[in-house]
Amino acid sequence: MAARELLAAEAVTTFPATGTRQVWRRLRTQRAAVAAGTVIVLLLLIAAAAPLLSAIEGQDPTTYHNDLIDSASGGVPVGPFGGVGAEHWLGVEPGTGRDVFARLVHGARVSILVAVGSTVVQVLLGVTVGLAAGLGNRLLDQLISSTTDVMLALPSLVFSIALMAVVPSGFPRPLLLTLVIGLLGWGGTARVVRAQTLTLKELDYVAAARLGGSSPWRIARRELLPSLAAPVITYAALLLPSNVVAEAGLSFLGVGVRPPTSSWGQMLSSATTWFRADPTYILLPAVLLFATVLAFTVLGDRVRIALDPRAASRLRVGVHRSGTGPGSAPPLRSGTPNSKEEA
Amino acid sequence: MSRVLLVPRRLAAAAVTLALASGAAACGPKSGSAGSDAQPHPGGTLTVLNQNPQNRFDPARLYTSGGGNVPSLVFRTLTTRNRADGAAGTKVVPDLATDTGTPSADATVWTYHLRDGLKFEDGSPITTADIKYGIERSFAPELSGGAPYLRDWLAGAADYQGPYQDKHGLDAIETPDPKTIVFHLDKPEGDFPYLATQTQFAPVPQAKDTGTKYQDHPVSSGPYQVVKNENDGMRLVLQRNPDWTQESDSQRRAYPDTIDVQAGLDPAVINQRLSTGSGADAAAVTTDTDLGPSELAQLAGDGQLASRVGTGHFGYVNYLAFNPKSKPFDNPKVREAIAYAVNRTSVVNAAGGSSLAEAATTYLPDQAAFGHTPYDPFPAGATGNPDKAKELLKEAGYPDGLTITLTHSTSAGTGYGPNLATAVQDGLKAAGITVKLDGLEENKYSQTIHTVSTEPGFFLSGWGADWPSGGPFLAPIFDGRQIVTDGYNFNSAQLDDPSVNSEIDRINKITDHDTAAGHWGALDRQIGAQALTVPLFHPVYKRLYGKDIRNIVISDWTGVLDISQVAVK
Repeated sequence: MAARELLAAEAVTTFPATGTRQVWRRLRTQRAAVAAGTVIVLLLLIAAAAPLLSAIEGQDPTTYHNDLIDSASGGVPVGPFGGVGAEHWLGVEPGTGRDVFARLVHGARVSILVAVGSTVVQVLLGVTVGLAAGLGNRLLDQLISSTTDVMLALPSLVFSIALMAVVPSGFPRPLLLTLVIGLLGWGGTARVVRAQTLTLKELDYVAAARLGGSSPWRIARRELLPSLAAPVITYAALLLPSNVVAEAGLSFLGVGVRPPTSSWGQMLSSATTWFRADPTYILLPAVLLFATVLAFTVLGDRVRIALDPRAASRLRVGVHRSGTGPGSAPPLRSGTPNSKEEA
Repeated sequence: MSRVLLVPRRLAAAAVTLALASGAAACGPKSGSAGSDAQPHPGGTLTVLNQNPQNRFDPARLYTSGGGNVPSLVFRTLTTRNRADGAAGTKVVPDLATDTGTPSADATVWTYHLRDGLKFEDGSPITTADIKYGIERSFAPELSGGAPYLRDWLAGAADYQGPYQDKHGLDAIETPDPKTIVFHLDKPEGDFPYLATQTQFAPVPQAKDTGTKYQDHPVSSGPYQVVKNENDGMRLVLQRNPDWTQESDSQRRAYPDTIDVQAGLDPAVINQRLSTGSGADAAAVTTDTDLGPSELAQLAGDGQLASRVGTGHFGYVNYLAFNPKSKPFDNPKVREAIAYAVNRTSVVNAAGGSSLAEAATTYLPDQAAFGHTPYDPFPAGATGNPDKAKELLKEAGYPDGLTITLTHSTSAGTGYGPNLATAVQDGLKAAGITVKLDGLEENKYSQTIHTVSTEPGFFLSGWGADWPSGGPFLAPIFDGRQIVTDGYNFNSAQLDDPSVNSEIDRINKITDHDTAAGHWGALDRQIGAQALTVPLFHPVYKRLYGKDIRNIVISDWTGVLDISQVAVK
C-alpha cells in the first residue's frame, strides 16, 4: 500500500500546485493526521461549547466553594484527586474551590481563540510584507527585509511582557494577547514569502504576466498567491502550536488574561506551587496543553507533507532507510521553516 | 527628606520581619552529641537562608522595627524590644539605657542614662556622644533610608542636613555627661521609648565614621561583629564580639559563635532546604520566607516537619480602602453595603487559609499592645450578608445593583494581589455588586493608590506599624494633618476630622502604654463605624526552621523567630 501511495505521490510532483482534493485525500490516508485532526476538532468543540459543558456539569468557572477546601491546611481541596466527584468532575481549585472542569473548558476558549487569532494576524501581515518585499524595488526590499530581520531578532517574550504591562487594563485582554503575539511574530512568514516570491518572479508564466502589463497587485493575486498557498499554510500550521504556547506562557507569567478569566497558562501558573500537595490540579491543564500542541504540530507536519509531495516522497524513503540501518540521516525537512524561530 | 520617605513605611512592615531574622548556622562541625537535652548551649554556626539581601547595613540607613533581627545582633540601641514569646514580646525594654526613659510632664523631654561596662568591638567605651552622633548622621542626605520620625519629632530638626554639612549638630539632643542623653521634642510623644529601639539610636564612634562606606564595616556594639559583607548584604558573616558581655545585655543570648546570612535564594529553595535539613541546613533558619498555602498542605501530613514550624503574629491589617471623595463611595451606605457583602471566608482562603490569616473586623490588629478593642460595626458573619447589603444599596439609590472597579496589584505573592481581588469580587457578586478588576503592576499600584490625585475609589491596601502601638497604626491613616497632597499619602480616606485629630494629640501625650492603648482602641472603634475601610484579615506568619534549632522565641512585635535567642547546640 505504501508503494502505491508513493507512486501516486510521485505522479503529481510534476505539477507545482496541488489540488485541494488531492491534499485532502493524502491527509486522510495518514493515521497520524487523522488522529491529530480528531483531537483538534474535539478541542474546538469543547471550546465552542464551554458554557454548555459546564452547565451540564452544573458549575461555572468563577463561583467559590469554601466548603470544598481545607482552609486550615492552606486551602487544599477536600477529597481524593483534588476533590474529584460527581458534582465536580475534575475536582476544585485549591484556595478557592472553583470548579476545575469549568475553568479548563472555558480556558480552552481563550487558549485556542488567541492562538488562532494571532496566527491569522501573523500570516496576513507576513504575506503582505513578504510580497511587498519580493515584488518591490531594491530599496523597498532592503527596507522591509531589514525590518523583518529586526522583528526576528526581537526578544519577543520580553517585548510581549512589556507591551502587556503598559496597555491600560480596560482593553480586552484576549484581543490584546492576540494582537501582541500576532504583531510580534510575522517575521518568519514574511521571510518565507519573500524568498518564494523572488523564486516565482523569475518563472516564465510570471514574467509573461509582467510583460503583458499586469499590475504588481494583479501578479500577486493571480500568479503568486496560488503558488504561495502551500508554504504559507504549512508555515501557519507550525506557527499555531507555538502561539498556543506563547499565550500560555504570557498568562503563566501573569501578564496574560485577567482574573477571574481562566486560561491554561493561568491555571498552570497557579498550580505550580501545588504540584506536590495537589498533583491533579497541575496535570490537567498540562496534559491538555501538551495534547493541543502535539496535535497541531503533527497536523501541521502532515499538511506540509501532503502539500509538498516531493518532500513527502523523500521523507518516506528516508523513513524506510532509517528502519533498516543505524546512523541513517533523520527525515529531511527541506524547505520548511523552523517554528522555533517564532516561539 | 520630604514626605516621600514615608514610602517605606508600609514596606517597612515586611522589611522588619526580614530584618528580624538573621541567625544562621553555616558549616561548623558538630560537637559530638549535638545534645539530646533541650537546653540551648553556646557555640556552632547558625545559617540564615533568605531571599532578600541584608543591604545598607549602616545603622543610619536601616528601616527596622525594634532594631531588626540581624541588625540587632550588631547594633545595640537605647531601648529594644523584649525578647519574649507572644504578647510579652511587644513590650519595650532598656538596652544600652538603664530604663526606657524618663519623660517630662508633657512627654516632650526624654532623659536616658547609660548602663555600666558598655564597649564597642574595639574595646573603647560607649558614650552618649556616640549615640547623639549616630542620630545626627542619620539626617545626612547621603545616608537616607531610615524612618522619618526623628525629623518629625526632634525640636528644630526639620531642616537639619547631618553632621557632615553642619558640624554644630542638633541642639535637640543634649549630652550633659558621657552617661546621660536628653531629647527635646517639639510635641508630646508618649511612644518615644519605642522609637528609641530603631537602629538610628545605635552608637557610632565619630572617629570611625567612614560615611557611605561605614556599612561595609560598622563598629559593633552588640554580641557580633561583621567579618564579611559581600555585595551589599548578599552574604553577611558575623562572628562573636569579644568585647560584648552577657552581663551588660539583658536581652540578647547570642548562643552561636558565628552567624552566616546567605541571601538571594528562591523561597521554594529556602523551604525545601530547611525541610530537608542536610549538612549546615540543619542549623538554619530564615527571616524573610513564609510557608505558603501549598507548603502548609504538604506539612499537614508530616508531623515531624509540622513540629518545626514557628507561628508568629506581626501587627498588620489587610483591608479594602475607599476614596470617599469619589462616587459612589461618597455615600456611606454604599461603603456599608460593601462591608456587609464581603465574604471573609473566601478572603481568608485567598490569603492562604485559616492558618495564615485571621478574619478581621477591626482596623487595629488583634493584640492588646495596639489597643485592640473587639468590635464589628457591620456584623455580616463569616461569609457576608448579601441581603443586608442589597437593602443598603436600595436605600442608597441603587436598587438594581452597582458596578464598581477594584484596583489591586498584579503581584501574586502580596496581600493586595489578584487572588484577594477575585475573592472580594465573588463575595460582592452575591449582593448584586459587579466588581471590575483593575490590576496594576506592583510599583505602579503603590504609586497610584498613594497619590491623592490618582487615588482610585476602591482598592486593596494594608498597613503595619513601625512598633506595636495604636499611634503609628492609626495616625498615618486617619490624621487629617498627615494628608500629603504632593507626595506619598497614606490617609487614603482623606479624613480630616478635628475630633479625630485632637484625640490623636491627646493620646500621644500619654506615656503609660496600657492607658494609651485603651484610648487608641476606642478611637479605632469610633473611626471604624464610618466605614472608611473594610478590614479583611490579619496575616499569620508560619516559618520553618532547621532540626538542630533550639530556643525558639517568637514575639508578637516581630512575628518571626528571634535570632538573638536561637541556639544550634
